Amino acid sequence: MDFKLGEKEEALRKEIRKFAQKELPPGSFTLLLEEESRDEDWKLAMSTSKKLAQKGWLVMAWPKEYGGSAVSYWEQMVYGEECGYWGIPGISMGISGVAWVGPSLMQFGNEEQRKKYLPLIASGEPDGVWCTGYSEPNAGSDFANIQTRAIRDGDEYVINGQKVWTSCAHRARWCWLAVRTDPNAPKKHRGISIFIVDMKSPGITVNPLLNYYGAHIFNEVFFDNVRVPASNLVGEENKGWYHLMQSLASERHSFGPSLYGSARRLLEELVDYAKETQYDGKPLCQNPEVRHMLADAAVEAEMLKLFNYQVTWELTQGITPIYGSSRNKAFGDQLLERLGIIGMKLIGAYSQVDPYSKWTKLHGIIQRLYLLFPGISIAAGTDEIEKNVIGQFKLGLPKSY
Amino acid sequence: MDFKLSEDQEMLRSLARDFLTKECPKAKVRELERDEKGYDPQMWERMAELGWLGLVFPENYGGTGATFLDLVLLMEEIGRNILPGPFFSTVVCALPILEYGDEEQKAKFLPQIASGAAIWTLALIETLGGYKASEIKTSARIGDGGYVIEGTKLFIPNATVASHLLVAAQTGEGDKGITMFVVDAHSPGVEVEVIPTIAQDKQCQVTFTKVKVPEGNVLGDVGGGWGIVEFILDRAAILKCAEVSGGCQAVVEMTNAYAKDRVQFDKPIGSFQAIQHRLVDMFVNAEGLQYLVYQAAWEISAGSPSKLHIALVKAKAGEVYQKTCLDAIKIHGATGFTREHDVGLYFRRVKASEFAMGDTDLWRERVAVELGL
Repeated sequence: MDFKLGEKEEALRKEIRKFAQKELPPGSFTLLLEEESRDEDWKLAMSTSKKLAQKGWLVMAWPKEYGGSAVSYWEQMVYGEECGYWGIPGISMGISGVAWVGPSLMQFGNEEQRKKYLPLIASGEPDGVWCTGYSEPNAGSDFANIQTRAIRDGDEYVINGQKVWTSCAHRARWCWLAVRTDPNAPKKHRGISIFIVDMKSPGITVNPLLNYYGAHIFNEVFFDNVRVPASNLVGEENKGWYHLMQSLASERHSFGPSLYGSARRLLEELVDYAKETQYDGKPLCQNPEVRHMLADAAVEAEMLKLFNYQVTWELTQGITPIYGSSRNKAFGDQLLERLGIIGMKLIGAYSQVDPYSKWTKLHGIIQRLYLLFPGISIAAGTDEIEKNVIGQFKLGLPKSY
Repeated sequence: MDFKLSEDQEMLRSLARDFLTKECPKAKVRELERDEKGYDPQMWERMAELGWLGLVFPENYGGTGATFLDLVLLMEEIGRNILPGPFFSTVVCALPILEYGDEEQKAKFLPQIASGAAIWTLALIETLGGYKASEIKTSARIGDGGYVIEGTKLFIPNATVASHLLVAAQTGEGDKGITMFVVDAHSPGVEVEVIPTIAQDKQCQVTFTKVKVPEGNVLGDVGGGWGIVEFILDRAAILKCAEVSGGCQAVVEMTNAYAKDRVQFDKPIGSFQAIQHRLVDMFVNAEGLQYLVYQAAWEISAGSPSKLHIALVKAKAGEVYQKTCLDAIKIHGATGFTREHDVGLYFRRVKASEFAMGDTDLWRERVAVELGL
């Protein structure tokens, strides 16, 4: 057993700190899912992606032949932690491309697809931005229920249907799309396939879905006789479900370290705020309830850190962390929720203020987190779905749904 | 970074698990709760033969030279199985002797502990029940070529069977005036009374009336006792949390097995999300606690203990143990509420382990201080 990170990892940490201090505007702190919302946020995200690409960090985990740096799992973890800590935007360009399209293409795409799409993602250019079309009006947690159809027609497939909650579709050049190719399969998850779809194809309509506080993060996407070359099928036809189960583990795993980094930063900001803010003639930090809440959050942050270490260690041992990824995502969500609530309590009446207004405290991070966390906890699998995964795959309990 | 145990550690763990399951089944645990001594001397001898009592001592003191992390792994097994008796109280005194004892003290006391001949306990806290220097009123005055101790200590585990007491007493004022003394438990003036506890774990009130202690029995420096107490607290808290962590694991495992087995509405109750998600939360928290313990223990073993990492664990453990046991009883239904079921054995130990070596509030406040608050 050993609980120390290596010199390489610590050196990387320092380098990222330098990068963040040099490249990010003062007070800038981007939370997960925020970068695709306002045009100015997206501009900053894309210009940062480009710089991350030049540093060799954007797709650092990938092999060199596809534009990566082939770094260790530990370096990837530290990178995730630090990006979360500094709130660096553009680290995954709308998430999909870097976090799972690339890794999935390397797992079950063909060489032609890898050669075409991976360098685009690795370059940090707008042509490397992806969205993911999984959810539909009748297929949320019950993802295998998707109805969007792809029918083979010569060298092409013709796609019809609707996707919903599609984050970043209004920014994306490509869509990583799950469709039904065999409606007669004996079990519904046996008739699913994955396609790469050019978002510029005729027949695609992207309608914004504003979230409950008016931000534009996700969309509904309609496919009306969209023609896609057959060569855009990824992996085997009708095997999409099995391919995706693997890539979902990567997707969830990628959340843990950055959730921890964000949590640690928020905790530090709140500690500083409690020390600097006078309330009723005393610093807020002398209030026993404040000390209690922040200490409890620190304990959970430490648990999340160690959960991430454990999953990363499993990856180094060649183990696919199906259970651990779900655990870390659900645990991280719960921690951010807790920090959001504590933060709002600490800033008191200022918690009502628009995060971008001049009256806001702590650059609006707290309100933004508070408003966003329900969305973060739903994206890529609700807490309930994650707990089902843990119950079934780790505790060996019967299917509960 | 590595989450893997070494081969020796794996061996220690599996030997401990086998030994405890065989030698200390739950029927034995219940018997020892009723037993006056609260431990089994024959089992104690076998534990000495296994090298457990001197686990972290160098070989020249009769030990096996294992690390603090190894000791933590053993405590985890002890907590998982429940082993009544003075193992924890003895180890908690042995560690400061190893660290602060002079050569003569080490040569005298450590081999006796390793061989099983001596049983120790820490006589620290008093009527307020807290771990603060200001709460120590027991005094040690110079007289008769040594010291004379007067005072009352509370919640002292296993004092009825202890041969030695490690006593914190005031030789001056405040936390700079505390000194640690080794006291022969059979000295005239030492009176021990068992406090009936929910855990039936033989915690005692120990009264010192004009108890004479030779000068050579001072451990460390006169007035330097609180530093020793801090040394003990950091390590003992982690050992206690390892015990709690093992207890949580056992409770989660028995509850998971029950949820798969128990059928209602024609289905195992573990297939209902209300049960399954509760179990998942129990499991994840127990696992998190385990890693927190390992991290703090590894750092102590590596010679770089982290005050924050130690405090985090003890601030969390009590809450996790309590929630785990409560939820386990609920999932078991009325069966879990019976005397015959093992889950109650664990639940009855929740408060004892929370208050041993400082409660949640004390350690949470330490976390707050370490955060810079």
